[in-house]
Amino acid sequence: MSSLYERIGGAGAVDAAVDLFYRKVLADGRIARFFDNVNMEDQIAKQKSFLTMAFGGANNYTGQDMRNGHKKLVEKGLNDSHVDAVLEDLESTLRTLGVGDKEVKEVLALANSVRDDVLNR
Amino acid sequence: MARLLYQGEPVPLEAGEDVLTALLSAKIDAPHSCRAGVCQTCIHRVVDGTPPETSQNGLTDAQKKLGYFLPCICVPATDLYIVPAEEIGDSYESVVHEIEYLAPDIVRLSLDHDPDFKYRPGQFIELIANKNLKRHYSIASFQEASDYLELHIKLHPRGQMSKYITEDLKIGSKIYIAGPLGTCIYEGIDPDQPIVMVGAGTGLSPLVGIKREALHRSHRGLMRLYHGARTRSGLYMHDYLEALSKSHSNFDYISCRLDSDVEAERDIASVVLDKETNLTDPTFFLCGGPGLVNRLKHDLYMKGVSLKKIRSDVFVPADRSD
Repeated sequence: MSSLYERIGGAGAVDAAVDLFYRKVLADGRIARFFDNVNMEDQIAKQKSFLTMAFGGANNYTGQDMRNGHKKLVEKGLNDSHVDAVLEDLESTLRTLGVGDKEVKEVLALANSVRDDVLNR
Repeated sequence: MARLLYQGEPVPLEAGEDVLTALLSAKIDAPHSCRAGVCQTCIHRVVDGTPPETSQNGLTDAQKKLGYFLPCICVPATDLYIVPAEEIGDSYESVVHEIEYLAPDIVRLSLDHDPDFKYRPGQFIELIANKNLKRHYSIASFQEASDYLELHIKLHPRGQMSKYITEDLKIGSKIYIAGPLGTCIYEGIDPDQPIVMVGAGTGLSPLVGIKREALHRSHRGLMRLYHGARTRSGLYMHDYLEALSKSHSNFDYISCRLDSDVEAERDIASVVLDKETNLTDPTFFLCGGPGLVNRLKHDLYMKGVSLKKIRSDVFVPADRSD
């Protein structure tokens, strides 16, 4: 059985997903404010890193990175509802790209696994 | 055994070791995060040598061409001299060839420089009057077709560099330049696809350079240039660009002027968003103040343009960059 990352299409899938995903996130009124005044190119690189992790790709993304990266946002009110919104946007991105049910569930589980780090709990 | 130089200093490199590990072992405070070539946090630039192709995975064509690479996935096969990505680099002596007023408050400065100083139009340089007076300016000339480095400089009533240029610099004066830096260049562009260039004020400077390179490289797709300024004189290459649009069927020039108190930069963005309906094919070049560039980048992206197809250079006023 090949890995999730291979089944989903590897780096090519991350590339295909990142523009769609970040666009959905910026258009999502529930979370868009957290992305005000960020450098879009830097943010795209970070989103690719996140998607690589969520797609089960080789990554040394640590919980500490997630904590540091979101600390200021938690102070601004980032909570579970916002993580839920991101996961919804991720799911809709995967559906748009025609990713299979099984893989979608695996990706969402991986993405959800960093929830506590993101929310600094 | 490949050798590694960082900012001119040798850094020990074990066989098979990646550059990031070597930098960190040498107590160099290199920013990093994923260590898997994905997040691009550790990006550096090669000033001498060729980074392995695999260490440039995920970077733009312009970044690849200009020697950017990711140290965390770079195991060098040959000697590399590297610097941090935003390091401006060595300085070179240059000599003022010409100072010409393009408008009452815009000067074209042409500099005779060391042929070893290589650049691409759309990049920027640091102009160094003295150690306390340095400013960044974008490049309007195309090196293969011009002996002189051309900069368009907006003069500010109380600007120190403006005063220096207008009062102290003469033809034949020596002045230092450093760089170049920046990735807003004509690289990796399909010659049959459209390019759309949008600039306000002296944001025209890099775009004129990019246009020159595109024409030199026989770009066949449509080239559309939007230039916004508050006054007629601010449209400082109007006649030249208009003539060019008449002589080249695939070059289109659209000027936007506002004399009212409405912010010109906002208006040119609206014109572009209205007029540009093909959002799939063109590569967009956006140059000017943060108000224009960041708004247009956001709006074009949200309308469906891939960020890979948007190249930009934000001009930051000196009082904020100092």
